[in-house]
Amino acid sequence: MTTLFPCAFFALAAFAATAAQASELTVEITDLRTQKGAVMVALIDSAAGWDDGSKAIARRKLTPEGDQLTLQFADLKPGQYAVQVMHDENSNGKLDTNFIGMPVVEGYGFSNNPRVMRRAKFDEARFEVGAEDQRITVKLR
Amino acid sequence: MNRRRFLRDTLLGTLAAATLPRLALAGSADNGRAAAFARGLRAEPWLIGWRNAARSVFEPTGAKLEGRLPKGLRGVLYRNGPAWFERAGFRYQHWFDGDGMVHAWRLDDAGVSHRARMVETPKFQREHAAGRFLLPAVGTTVPDAIAARNNDDMNTANTAVIEHAGRLLALWEGGSATELDAVDLKTRGPVSWREDLTAAPFSAHPLLERDGSLWNIGGMAMIGANAVLVWNIGADGVLRKSAVVDDSGPGYVHSFAMTERHLIVMLEPYTQGGEGQSMFERMQYDPRAPCRIAVIPKDALDQPRWFEVESAAVYHWADATEHDGIIDARAVRHHDLVQARAPLAGAMRGVRDPQGAATELVSLRIDLKNNTAQWIGRGHRGGEFPVFDPRSTRLQRGRIYLSVSAGRSRAPYPNAIAAIDEDGRTRVHRFGSDVMVEEHRFVPRPGGSKLDDGWLVGTVLDVDKQRTGLSVLDASRLEDGPLAMAWLPLAMPLGFHGWFSQT
Repeated sequence: MTTLFPCAFFALAAFAATAAQASELTVEITDLRTQKGAVMVALIDSAAGWDDGSKAIARRKLTPEGDQLTLQFADLKPGQYAVQVMHDENSNGKLDTNFIGMPVVEGYGFSNNPRVMRRAKFDEARFEVGAEDQRITVKLR
Repeated sequence: MNRRRFLRDTLLGTLAAATLPRLALAGSADNGRAAAFARGLRAEPWLIGWRNAARSVFEPTGAKLEGRLPKGLRGVLYRNGPAWFERAGFRYQHWFDGDGMVHAWRLDDAGVSHRARMVETPKFQREHAAGRFLLPAVGTTVPDAIAARNNDDMNTANTAVIEHAGRLLALWEGGSATELDAVDLKTRGPVSWREDLTAAPFSAHPLLERDGSLWNIGGMAMIGANAVLVWNIGADGVLRKSAVVDDSGPGYVHSFAMTERHLIVMLEPYTQGGEGQSMFERMQYDPRAPCRIAVIPKDALDQPRWFEVESAAVYHWADATEHDGIIDARAVRHHDLVQARAPLAGAMRGVRDPQGAATELVSLRIDLKNNTAQWIGRGHRGGEFPVFDPRSTRLQRGRIYLSVSAGRSRAPYPNAIAAIDEDGRTRVHRFGSDVMVEEHRFVPRPGGSKLDDGWLVGTVLDVDKQRTGLSVLDASRLEDGPLAMAWLPLAMPLGFHGWFSQT
């Protein structure tokens, strides 16, 4: 079954580390509705990787503390990136959805916070990282 | 085409258009809307029906009884309707946007008492805490709205209320039913009938089968899909079956009709050409395209038969009969497709709409043998909120009871209750030019078996005295006027639909 949020989208496997260059990206995640489970963050650097769902260049798994969290991705090359976040409240490794693929009980979010009620597209979530360090905020919905 | 793939694609398409554009409306024009309504209210006192509820909880209070309650009429009239239209100076522009408030009018040996409470949906709780509207609404562009997780994030639970299988449910149409405590009306939370159907659309107009089971539909237009979900819930409150009926194009549906054998679901075609970001702003009924009607066998939900009929807008279906291959379903048809998109839009802005809704009680006649469908009108104009005795059958068809406009009226709103026989004979009770008349439910007389033997129980808003009251009429002699009225000392926002729970 094809859904809005394929399981592979936030797959837990392969916490890949990346090779280095200059900038550091700080991601502030806000609007957590509960303290349960884990918050999973994926950093992706291409539309193909975004669509594939399993081609993140870096992933983080965090334990909620309060209604927001902050994390860093270091040594990023200048370029385009996008971030997707899932709050896996029941720790089953996926974003739970209903029969049409709509997330119903767990939070999610994307860089740029596009106002769409579905998985954002890479173009909607992408942002530029240059030589300077950068900070973004992802609001969970 | 793979249905789920199909749904996925339409979701991506429609909702992207729905929610992507940044809004440029925040500012003085928006924040002036509440002030404009307040000015309008000073000039047109009947607008009190569209004012915010004075508070979110009304504790039990006795209502001043005039007349006498009929001996056999005991129970609770529950009513639901939008009651919270403004926050931080911003006012919704569409009546359907207001958050729901559920009222309970208790009729017992001591008289009539009333209590009410806002439905504490996740939306209401979040926005009440924030002091402003945060989430997208169905008919108004909300400035700086946050992204919704799903359709239930926008659920206002504001349209109807029913009691089924021991549960009191506040109903919307774009998402879950919300369970309430039947006594204190506190919110228990959204109902999930089955895990994979969590947050799926559940209309505000389910219909009861004679065995106590419940049929309902869920129009999927709001979540961007060209399909209707069919629900069948047992008398025990457990989901028996569900099905998705795919449609060939965008279609809006608010309620449906049913015979003993079939569900009749009419989808009103619309285009997405409108301006704005909310669903009703973008949606425009398409007068060139016919309405599509799915006639769905109750025992074969996956085998709908499709019919077409001249374009129309219908919010409310009433009874339906079926005999010798002919289905006859009665409904209130709206002739003005533009106005039908946002009923009483003027009242929401604090002005008088140039004219009342152009409606007519009609029959939709479906010929199953010849594959045709047509509208049959009998000239009964100006009504809404039709109800009927559910014991009505083909052999003995009962009356339709509805709120109508009769004679002079201060407000562009019904001021009377009418009963219309199948042969078209009409009886009317006119409450007066200062009274706005809401839906009245039919309550059968206990122990009686004669059709239409019972009472009509509903609410009215007296504009002159600025108070809301409960009225009780004898259904067979409604022209004689109320047997009893019970008044609150204040006016409540007008509501939509109710449910009488007999004890």
